[in-house]
Amino acid sequence: MKDALSLLARVPAHPDSHCWFLAWDPAGTLLASCGGDRSVRLWGKEGAGWACKAVLGDGHHRTVRKVAWSPCGTYLASASFDATTCVWKKGPDGFECVTTLEGHENEVKSVSWAPSGSLLATCSRDKSVWVWEVDEEDEYECVSVLNAHTQDVKHVVWHPNQELLASASYDDTVKLYREEEDDWVCCATLEGHESTVWSLAFDKSGERLASCSDDKTVRIWHQYKPDNELGVLCSGTEPSWKCVCTLSGFHTRTIYDVAWCHLTGALATACGDDAIRIFEEEPLSDPQQPTFTLTAHVPRAHSQDVNCVAWHPKEPGLLASCSDDGELAFWQYQRPEVC
Amino acid sequence: MEAAAGASDMFDAIVMAEERFHGEGYRDGYAEGSHVGVIEGRRYGALHGAKIGSEIGYYLGFALTWQCLLHRAAEEKHSKKIKTLESLIGMIQKYPYEDPTYDKLQEDLEKIRGKFKQVCSLLNIQSDFRIDTERSPLTF
Repeated sequence: MKDALSLLARVPAHPDSHCWFLAWDPAGTLLASCGGDRSVRLWGKEGAGWACKAVLGDGHHRTVRKVAWSPCGTYLASASFDATTCVWKKGPDGFECVTTLEGHENEVKSVSWAPSGSLLATCSRDKSVWVWEVDEEDEYECVSVLNAHTQDVKHVVWHPNQELLASASYDDTVKLYREEEDDWVCCATLEGHESTVWSLAFDKSGERLASCSDDKTVRIWHQYKPDNELGVLCSGTEPSWKCVCTLSGFHTRTIYDVAWCHLTGALATACGDDAIRIFEEEPLSDPQQPTFTLTAHVPRAHSQDVNCVAWHPKEPGLLASCSDDGELAFWQYQRPEVC
Repeated sequence: MEAAAGASDMFDAIVMAEERFHGEGYRDGYAEGSHVGVIEGRRYGALHGAKIGSEIGYYLGFALTWQCLLHRAAEEKHSKKIKTLESLIGMIQKYPYEDPTYDKLQEDLEKIRGKFKQVCSLLNIQSDFRIDTERSPLTF
């Protein structure tokens, strides 16, 4: 099973610091990493290895916690503990910080671009989620401040093809938001995790959402539209989300990140026990009660906590991971013949 | 027979005394506790109600002032700001001050706080400035 995930390369991305998060640009040519050294680094393939193409070092004066590419690949947003979010624009002479979004009271924990590219979401330790709108002149305007969570908000992510936003929090819940009459409203709360929810990932269709938590489990939530044939209750025209699968007993520490490959459907996790694990849905399992099997497990993938896993958007099976040890690693996943 | 019954009553009075005093004590204590509880609750409610009132009153004054200033400027580019201010004012006017048992009191307050922050962001104003220089900065 160990051979299912093989190491391709290891890079000291943020030496003497933590590497917190990774994001592939939509074309898959650049990988952005961010870390405790307050910098964002961009990595590109060079020959057989990976080389640092740029360092965006002058935007933040504290840890950069997360990065996100716009769907067009021209912009990169970085969320920092200095309470700001920077938007970098790709130009002929490299990347330049074009906007600094202020408003959060303290540490910004995550940032995400909507599929249309015209909306950006940020979240913070101040318990709020902000939705920003971008116009043609790169002007950002706050369209909503959502105070639905009762604690630190750890992660935000948009639905792959709708304007539906999901957030994960230290209050053990996941919340979903949509626009309603010029404002944004919380339209669903997913309860079930017994501790902090650290990260979220939608599948390709957006009908399923995976959440990972400090309670050492991954939960798979399924969207049920009103009047569904399965008789799952919905209130009015609002779809409802139900937990259809809980992956427990696999992880021994906090699960910090989960990534759902939109090419293969494989689910990767980054765990505080230094391991990377990959799960796949059993082909014949009931979609309403799916069974996921562990298909790969690399126990000491990094020397410290694994913070992030990111599937390449174009090359099936290419996975990047990063860790508290400051390193960035590239892996090739091959689905085992017999699970 | 009568003597035996009288003796049994006498013993009953002694045997049951603990239970009786316990009951009386409980009743008196309960009444006293309820009374003190009402006073304490009242004080707590007044204090927190006043805090919420002053917070919301502050938002309303802020919003009405800015609405007035922006209307005077009457520029097209302010339309979004004015709309958001109107939305904040509307939310405050709908807020049920009269009904402390309203179950969405806290939820609606959070929404008003969020709207205020959005307004501050649109107006490019720091929302954490001080109302009263003697006290700590606004916690809301």
